[in-house]
Amino acid sequence: MIDRHLLKLRARDTVSADEEQAIRNALGEIRTVPADRTIIHAGEELDVSTMLLDGFMCRYKDLSDGQRQITELHVSGDFVDLHSFSLKRLDHNIMTLTPCQIALVPHEKLTRITEQFPHLTRLYWFSTNLDAAIHREWELSLGRRTAIARLASLFCEMRVRLEIVGLTDGLSYALPLTQTDLAECLGLTAIHVNRTLKELREQSVVQFKGGIVTILDWEGLTQIAEFDPAYLYLEHRRE
Amino acid sequence: MPHFYLHLRNGAGYDEDPEGQELADLDAARLAAIDGVRSVLSEEMRQGQVDLTGAIEIADGDGNVLMIVHFRDAVQLKLDGRIA
Repeated sequence: MIDRHLLKLRARDTVSADEEQAIRNALGEIRTVPADRTIIHAGEELDVSTMLLDGFMCRYKDLSDGQRQITELHVSGDFVDLHSFSLKRLDHNIMTLTPCQIALVPHEKLTRITEQFPHLTRLYWFSTNLDAAIHREWELSLGRRTAIARLASLFCEMRVRLEIVGLTDGLSYALPLTQTDLAECLGLTAIHVNRTLKELREQSVVQFKGGIVTILDWEGLTQIAEFDPAYLYLEHRRE
Repeated sequence: MPHFYLHLRNGAGYDEDPEGQELADLDAARLAAIDGVRSVLSEEMRQGQVDLTGAIEIADGDGNVLMIVHFRDAVQLKLDGRIA
């Protein structure tokens, strides 16, 4: 159940059997949630953090006219709001993009981890730092990258993140999002995303069809995006 | 909510909208088309070459074109102190 979460942690550091058990012990209720549900609203008091076991979720903020900016995508194995452990409320919303299976992790259980498992605590600190690094990369995209580079960058990032948790098939992976979802990630519109996908397809770099991303030319895709995976901190360390 | 397909046609070719979007009514679809046109044009503007000859075809699920939104009508241009 937490296999993908463990894959994500173990990609960067060692997780002992005791630590693994501590994570398992921290899991509370398991829930299945349909697509397109906002499960955490900005401002509400929180005493649990949510681990995404299966599916795709996102963090987003929106404006009064309904315009939405997705600020990060979450894949299986991610904690979607580990930061609520210290913040106790969020300044953004959390939504499912596909049907999802989630585990609720009570903050009191996380408190126990911080008291009894200092190394695991540092790993979780790393996780929230990693989310911040992803936000910075997205900020660069939204502020400076062209539309085609934004989309290329997102496809590169998702390939790396999904590969870590065993959800890629070579250069192909499922990304069951709509063009509107992508537009909300990239600060574009569905029409503009459709046009940009066509450009990427015509350059024989990547195809996105029926929720499947097929990378035809990884080198070319990373060049368009100026993608450098350093911000995903893929080094394995023992801290 | 009804499903609308927003196909794009301009100098760079024809882009069929494969998914469509659920929008309240045809007017909401028209506003989405205008928003999409402005988004595409803003990118062209950044690169210094703007093509105003395109249009968005708003179609229903059966492929009937319900409305055409011309790029030219999505923006107002002011040239030489007057609106072109």
